[in-house]
Amino acid sequence: MIHPSIVASHATTTAEHVVVAENVTKEYRDGGLVVHALNGINLTLDRGEFTAIVGPSGSGKTTFLNLVSGLDSVTGGDIWLAEKRLSRMTSAELSDFRRDHVGFVFQSYNLIPVLTVAENVEYVMLLQGVPAEERAGRVERMLDRLGMHGYAGRFPNQLSGGQQQRVAIARAIVAEPDLILADEPTANLDSTTAGELIDLLRELNEENGITCIFSTHDSRIMERARRLVMLQDGCVDRDEIL
Amino acid sequence: MKLWFQLALRNVWRQKRRTFLTLITMFGGFGVASISIAWSDGTFEKAIDVYTRNFSGHIQIHSPGYLDTPSLYAAVDGGESLLASVQSHPQVIAATPRVKAAGLVAVGDVSAGGRFWGVDITRESSMTRLPDKIISGQSFSGPAANEVLVANGLALALDADPGDTLVVVSQGIDGSLANDAYLVVGIFESGEALVDQTTVIFPIDALRELLVLGDRVHEIALIVDDVAAVPAVARDLQQRLGDAVDVATWQVFAQTFNRAMELNRRGTWVSLLIIFAVVAVGVLNTVLMTVLERTREYGVLRALGTSPLQIVRLVLFEVTIMAVIGVTIGCVLGFAINSVIAWVGIPLPAPISHGGVEFSRLNSVVRAQSFWIPAVCVFASALVVSIFPARRAARTAPALAMRAR
Ligand SMILES: Nc1ncnc2c1ncn2[C@@H]1O[C@H](COP(=O)(O)OP(=O)(O)OP(=O)(O)O)[C@@H](O)[C@H]1O
Ligand SMILES: [Mg+2]
Repeated sequence: MIHPSIVASHATTTAEHVVVAENVTKEYRDGGLVVHALNGINLTLDRGEFTAIVGPSGSGKTTFLNLVSGLDSVTGGDIWLAEKRLSRMTSAELSDFRRDHVGFVFQSYNLIPVLTVAENVEYVMLLQGVPAEERAGRVERMLDRLGMHGYAGRFPNQLSGGQQQRVAIARAIVAEPDLILADEPTANLDSTTAGELIDLLRELNEENGITCIFSTHDSRIMERARRLVMLQDGCVDRDEIL
Repeated sequence: MKLWFQLALRNVWRQKRRTFLTLITMFGGFGVASISIAWSDGTFEKAIDVYTRNFSGHIQIHSPGYLDTPSLYAAVDGGESLLASVQSHPQVIAATPRVKAAGLVAVGDVSAGGRFWGVDITRESSMTRLPDKIISGQSFSGPAANEVLVANGLALALDADPGDTLVVVSQGIDGSLANDAYLVVGIFESGEALVDQTTVIFPIDALRELLVLGDRVHEIALIVDDVAAVPAVARDLQQRLGDAVDVATWQVFAQTFNRAMELNRRGTWVSLLIIFAVVAVGVLNTVLMTVLERTREYGVLRALGTSPLQIVRLVLFEVTIMAVIGVTIGCVLGFAINSVIAWVGIPLPAPISHGGVEFSRLNSVVRAQSFWIPAVCVFASALVVSIFPARRAARTAPALAMRAR
């Protein structure tokens, strides 16, 4: 099923909506306590956007990214990603959907410690059943592009944080997902490395038109975004194109 | 598949200490189980051998119904030809004919009831070692001599000694009164109370003559080359000999002994159960600890699109790899130790003597089941207890990956 606004937008403009969030709410129940993490978010992300989600701690950034990427399910409202309605999927369907449509970059890198750099990058393609030759070619090109060519056989614990995060970016984009999602990707890095990393993401965005959404607390990082969405108490407080 | 195998293998290798401890539990459990099965098989087979070689043999052939109600009249015709066809079976290593009756015996003016066995002493000696059971005096001078061996309990009651004359009164198969006097040539002891209280053994032809039996027999007892093959040989013989006779295995005619053996076996099964409960708890502990430690990793795998089933498979793969290694080491160790115990044996605190044989050590026997049973148990117990932690891992919330460390 295709979201009506996508059909509408095709009629009016050439931009394609990758993400459509409609009146999204999320409550966490912690014993008897109910936390309203998101209180009715409406947001669309177009293909090729490079968007930063910002806001004070506890404003709902991580929660929103979890919902958009199908890691968690909404309490109310609807989320559409790549023309699929996430809010109606079972957890098994979401699992396959993430594999095929979303690339993740985590704050803590989260490379699989027992796999080498090359194997980490290859992992999702293995799950997808991409043929071996094609996998090898894509891994090599990706590591080349990210300047990690000489590290293919190393294990994550033999790399610096910045290097690990480069590998994580390679892993996220190698399977050509519709959306790259990064929750505070630079929070564990020093400011120089953080700047280099976000520049790299932006270059990839410009080269390949990959849609990217990331959250950050760092004002120098948000400056590199092309669109800034500010959350406050689970609502969109500001939404501007830079 | 290769991916999961590789991931599992590296995960197993990653926690060397814990893996090592789990392996010890696995091959330790395997080894103890394997050794106790081989030992139990060894003592079991030894007990059967000693018991059956005393008198009964592995298989007995009678006229149908004889086992339930033994009777002088329930005799099988053509003893020699029956014996010949039994002995032609390739797995039969010895067979012997017997006639059996009962009557009164007296020495001087002391009398008692007695059971009479007519035996072929040459054939008995190759099968039941009857001559070894003679504790005083000697064996028969010939196959038809008017001589008897008296069981020690009965000899005590009759105050009979070698050289005395034993008067026997019974009834012939033709209804005639059968009585005669025999020379007591020896006193024997079988080790079985019932036999030792009542039995008088005659040369088979002497007893046949007394009872007018011609060439009839009441029983043919035989032993085969392998205790484990007894039921199969019995089936063969029954088929060859037809309905005119009833072929019974020791499990049937030695029910009490068989039940005691079964009880003994059950003891072995119970100890196996305990061993593998320990193995299961050890594996559960490892897998649970591992799964709890790696919650975040499973979250990441789930976030990247790994399905719950794939996670279950990954965890079970790790356990399987450990079980394969554990069982392999266990097989090597178990085989070595079992072979030593089979070869050298374990000395008994005091030698045991039963029916003229004395043995001072017991040996294991190494059979396939002392390996496959523990192997199946290791895999089964390890995998069964891993299902719960594996499912737990599979249910890890993918959002966990987003949490900062
Ligand atoms: N699993 C959870 N259970 C209960 N409450 C939660 C859970 N996750 C988040 N919350 C609550 O939801 C609200 C939004 O949290 P969220 O993690 O989305 O904020 P954030 O903007 O990412 O903050 P930060 O900048 O510190 O990462 C907070 O009040 C938080 O305490
Ligand atoms: Mg957050």
